[in-house]
Amino acid sequence: MNAAGAVAIRILAMLLLLLVNGVVLIYMLRKVLGRLHIRIGPNRVGPFGLLQTTADVVKLLTKEDLMPESADKWLFWIAPFVVFVPSFLAYLPLAFGPDLAVTRLDTGLLFLLAALSLIPLGVVMAGWASNSKWSLVGGMRAAGQQIAYEVPLMLAVLGPVMMAGSMDLSRIIEAQKNLWFVFPQFIAFIIYIIAAQADTQQTPFDMSEAESELITGFANEYGGMRFGFLFLAEFSNMFIVSALGVSLFFGGWYVPFLTENPVALSLAPLIFMIKTYMGIFVMMWARGSLPRIRVDQLLAFSWKALIPISLSWVVIWACFQRLVLVR
Amino acid sequence: MKIWGTGILNGFRITMRNWMRGPITVQYPEQRLELPERARWTVTPKYNEDGTPKCTACLICEKECPDHVLRLDVSKLEDGTKHIDKYVYEVGACMMCGLCTAACPFDAIYMSHEYELASRYASDLSRVLLEDVDTASPRRAKKEETDA
Repeated sequence: MNAAGAVAIRILAMLLLLLVNGVVLIYMLRKVLGRLHIRIGPNRVGPFGLLQTTADVVKLLTKEDLMPESADKWLFWIAPFVVFVPSFLAYLPLAFGPDLAVTRLDTGLLFLLAALSLIPLGVVMAGWASNSKWSLVGGMRAAGQQIAYEVPLMLAVLGPVMMAGSMDLSRIIEAQKNLWFVFPQFIAFIIYIIAAQADTQQTPFDMSEAESELITGFANEYGGMRFGFLFLAEFSNMFIVSALGVSLFFGGWYVPFLTENPVALSLAPLIFMIKTYMGIFVMMWARGSLPRIRVDQLLAFSWKALIPISLSWVVIWACFQRLVLVR
Repeated sequence: MKIWGTGILNGFRITMRNWMRGPITVQYPEQRLELPERARWTVTPKYNEDGTPKCTACLICEKECPDHVLRLDVSKLEDGTKHIDKYVYEVGACMMCGLCTAACPFDAIYMSHEYELASRYASDLSRVLLEDVDTASPRRAKKEETDA
């Protein structure tokens, strides 16, 4: 098989992973939230409600494709894809095993963060093009929030990058063979989970959706599979952020004390997925536990607390690494 | 202390406790909760052992009902006893207060535990409890005794 064919298969596999993830994560979210609220969650369609999201997908696909009369047609049409495509791009540098990634980039981490930072563009487009005040408010909030939390997210990522001496995600994971970076980089890890939660617009930072005040915000006027794309992107972002956290802080595919074990290494993708899903569970747990904070609190928290702390942590760790660890 | 995140951690603790408790949901059509003994639902007539209603058509329930959902159409027979033409009960308007059963001097009606009252047709919300029966009456009982 030629090289182009191999690349195409990898990309298709990743697309499939994204779609399957979306279906599985929506089911998982509903079950987890139900359990946290002492409910059962979906349990009517199929055994344990397993086919519920499949039925939802069929519903979304067969729905009428509505376009609001006063919408900016071109922007309205393209916005879901502008949200969805970067979210798919961010899957490409993820390393699921020692030699298992769509592409191995030396600047994989930078690529991933750059792709993620394109998403608010699509969100603002969706909000603007809908020509509805709720959508517009949602889109604007998303933009402000994403700009505010991009900075601490990138600063938090710098700690592991300094320790590994690389931006290649596989190299960062290999550097954690003996010590997961969550222990030396605990402060960076805390900043990372807060900023990641805000970056993917998850509760308690889901200002752009704000179900109770904006009624799904920027996705307000969307229906059918266009809404499906926006929804899917949200869940795939959750997966990306969790996978990135696992790669940066929890040793990727490594199991502690079994780093040389051939069985553990052959199960690398499975271990990576399990760790990622545990991270997603924590995000869902937060979603079921915390109320949404106010917009001004959200922005103030980023600019007045997270950014100064992460900046000083970067400086402190850089000095420590330069003066104590590397001599 | 709350500013340092203890409130947030407490929130996580509470939801995890909920997780451990497991669902308390009752799967309604398949599972049902047992009603408490004194639960009040529809008004239902009581019957004697021989199948005749205990109602004497004294009309106290009708007067007592705050919602006017009970209606008794009574006619008097030649021998002075009463005959119930129709005992109509508007279930849809009843608030299950139980005043009628409390007021009934002959213990002839009670609040049943029938709570699945939703119906497709409005006509189902008006029920006929008793129709075309003689009332329980001490005078008739005495008369039957003498006849025998």
